[in-house]
Amino acid sequence: MSDLTNESTVYVIYVAATPEKVWEALTSSAFTMRYFFGRSVESDWREGSRWTLRMPDGRVDVKGVVREARRPHRLSVTWNVDWMEPRAPECLVTYEIEDTGNGAVRLTMTEEHPTAIPRAWLEGGRKGWPMILSGLKSLLETGKPLGLPTPMPPKAANNAPPKG
Amino acid sequence: MSQFVYVTYIYATPQRVWDAITKPEFAHRYWMHTNVSDWTPGSRWEHRHGDGSGKVLIDGEVLESDPPSRLVMSWARPDRSKEPSRVTFDIADFSPGLVCLTVTHDRLEADPAMASSVAGGWPKVLSNLKSFLETGACENIWLTRNKEG
Repeated sequence: MSDLTNESTVYVIYVAATPEKVWEALTSSAFTMRYFFGRSVESDWREGSRWTLRMPDGRVDVKGVVREARRPHRLSVTWNVDWMEPRAPECLVTYEIEDTGNGAVRLTMTEEHPTAIPRAWLEGGRKGWPMILSGLKSLLETGKPLGLPTPMPPKAANNAPPKG
Repeated sequence: MSQFVYVTYIYATPQRVWDAITKPEFAHRYWMHTNVSDWTPGSRWEHRHGDGSGKVLIDGEVLESDPPSRLVMSWARPDRSKEPSRVTFDIADFSPGLVCLTVTHDRLEADPAMASSVAGGWPKVLSNLKSFLETGACENIWLTRNKEG
């Protein structure tokens, strides 16, 4: 726990799709349930609105506020994991969707940590984002998700399932 | 930056991923350029321009070769103006039909320009590799690259 860090995680992937389609894949449950470990998203995606990421059984996994929403190019949300004890500091997740002009989009995901966290906690995102975004790409390009198993939460956190 | 790591998951067998990286007839379709070697440890390898000129853009030595799961090679400027860096492909059989490919490009301390170039390049190459193996189509990203220079 002694090694605290503010390091960001950045993942870039190119997807043969329109920016609008990638935006829809990020913000619509019909898509996220197929590539985001079965999770659904809820929000009206307006700046200042709340957003929620729910587990397949309906429990809240992550919640936060929409900081920036410029459809279909930029979405930035605060990210609070709801079940971790002790609670991890809020982080910020931003998706940038750039049209390359040739039928492909460059999607850049940035996970920022304004408050330092134990370095081990970065592993959750560093393992998870390549799975999630590889799955998004496959889903949009082939119509088939990857069907990856849900990665385990970092060991540094209490990973007991939430009550209720 | 001394190291760049990129992980992607691909619907393919390890052998198909290995072949896509090491066989010129596949690589030229999604990487534009080709990788040429007999892929035995100690052998030379060349990253050749895909325009037919055969111009060597990068070369080096095959350091480890364990088909279809691991390939390590040095990554050198042909004029040897900088210390070579190193590229490792780890091709893991993640679950039936699904590969986890990890590319680690390290030893980049001596060549910041190369570090910056490969950090931009690997996501394109590997996104394209994934599209190529999953859909057979992938030309779009290289048009992007040409436009960006």
